[in-house]
Amino acid sequence: MPLVSTDRVTKSFGALVAVNAVTLAVDEGSLHSVIGPNGAGKTTFFNLLTGQLAPTSGRIVFDGRDIAGTPPHGIAHLGIARSFQRTSIFPTLSLLDNVWLAAFARQESWRGLAWRRTDAYPKLAERAMAVLEEVGLAGKHGEPARAISHGEQRQLELAIVLAATPRLLLLDEPAAGLSPDETKKMVALVRKLKGRYTIILIEHKIDVVMSMSDRISVMHFGSVIAEGVPAEIQRNAEVRRAYLGGIAPP
Amino acid sequence: MSRAWLAILAAVVLLPIFVRHSIATEIWIFAIFGLGLNLLMGYTGLLSFGQATFFGSAAYAAGYLLKYYGINVFLALATGIAVGAVSAALVGYLCVQRSGLYFIMLTFALNQMFYFTAYQWTTVTGGEDGMPGVPRPSVLGLDIHAPLAYYAAVALLFLLSLWVMRRIVESPLGKILQSIRDNELRAEALGYNVPRMKLAAFVVGGAFSGLAGVLYAMLFGIVPLESIGFVFSGNVVFATLIGGSGSLYGPVIGSFVFIWLSESVSAIWARWPLLLGVAFVVVVLFFRGGVVEAWARFWTWRAAHPATRADASR
Repeated sequence: MPLVSTDRVTKSFGALVAVNAVTLAVDEGSLHSVIGPNGAGKTTFFNLLTGQLAPTSGRIVFDGRDIAGTPPHGIAHLGIARSFQRTSIFPTLSLLDNVWLAAFARQESWRGLAWRRTDAYPKLAERAMAVLEEVGLAGKHGEPARAISHGEQRQLELAIVLAATPRLLLLDEPAAGLSPDETKKMVALVRKLKGRYTIILIEHKIDVVMSMSDRISVMHFGSVIAEGVPAEIQRNAEVRRAYLGGIAPP
Repeated sequence: MSRAWLAILAAVVLLPIFVRHSIATEIWIFAIFGLGLNLLMGYTGLLSFGQATFFGSAAYAAGYLLKYYGINVFLALATGIAVGAVSAALVGYLCVQRSGLYFIMLTFALNQMFYFTAYQWTTVTGGEDGMPGVPRPSVLGLDIHAPLAYYAAVALLFLLSLWVMRRIVESPLGKILQSIRDNELRAEALGYNVPRMKLAAFVVGGAFSGLAGVLYAMLFGIVPLESIGFVFSGNVVFATLIGGSGSLYGPVIGSFVFIWLSESVSAIWARWPLLLGVAFVVVVLFFRGGVVEAWARFWTWRAAHPATRADASR
């Protein structure tokens, strides 16, 4: 049974259909990539999954529940965590506070919300340090997030997402704007997560996608034009057309 | 105990020696008012331009009960805190739906609504003349009519308020509010109900403003109409910015600078707001973190230039 599936989910802004009847299912523990040219509707699709946008029609089922139209904070409590295409962190807070906040949000009870000191939650602090360790930023835990490099900020965002103990990870171009070296690091990080989490990945670097994904969906003008294992996608003529300058919608 | 707390304790003890008692008392009252605003403006990033709504409502409500029903001090304080919190919940509920300029204008507009209600409702508020004759009952048999006695009571409440506010900003809620200030989208994606958290900041800030309002009414024995007016709302924003918004002690320092300047300089120079204007421009242009940031920058500069220090000591 898939952990998350969509059934003809559609989002239109006036006459523009940004996401057009997308049906897709992601199995628990798998890495499913979504690729496609710029403006294909990949990020809008993510925004539907995370509640930033409500679908015009269609269903989104997560763990047996229809979650379409649930607000973002509600989605987060179900265990869906996302990274953004443009780095989204808390710049003035320390790295530790950045991940701590993600861990706290997922607590069963928010006891002591307005009174207990933040260091009186030993388990959270432990978890926060562990995820910083995992992305290789533990040494800088006290620095404000605005003081670290862009590449490190992307790693921090990944740490934030992991600290939320997600059941489903949505990664929106985690390697966007990174140098070749930093990209290598990021790819290695994501590869380490594969199998431990259910992941939906938006990525432009085709070689990365082909080597990592269990399944790939290709979006073009809001629709999924192909879906399959990497080898199938590579052979697909329609995909080649979409990527190699074919402008006409399918 | 930290150095900051020692400095504040020293200030509490020494202030009435150097400054007229009523002014010294007003400084700490205004500081409590500023603490409440700072939670909204400094920690949550919400520039509320209507804090006098909560200050004034609490002052009128508690003043009325003190005057006509002779309630005791504790009940008066509780009334003020409750009225401050409830009025802030009402205003906050409407305001957190909007952001940016619209948010600021809404807090301002609602403040004006409360102001004109107080202005028109003369049977209760006394309208333009204010509500005179607010008594200052004794506390557990202790007479607090003497200016110094009332100063001590207010100073104690100020210290308590500062301690409570410190607990709040160092709690998870304080961190969540700061994260909303930094990046609302991210806070929401982590699972925080942003409007509800903002509302919590409003309610807590309103409670502090309400406490300040009652103390103000009992200090002067009158609730003036200005106490619910937009100038008062502006003054507290002003004072907090000068002191340093977003740092715990900023509004305390700001209150000191603002009240002390306005009370002492205004007596000798009628155009003293000009001085405040200059201070404001300097803060906005060079020290966005107010006096607190200027102070910190001075010390890092001193540390980076040990030679100058040696010169100075020679």
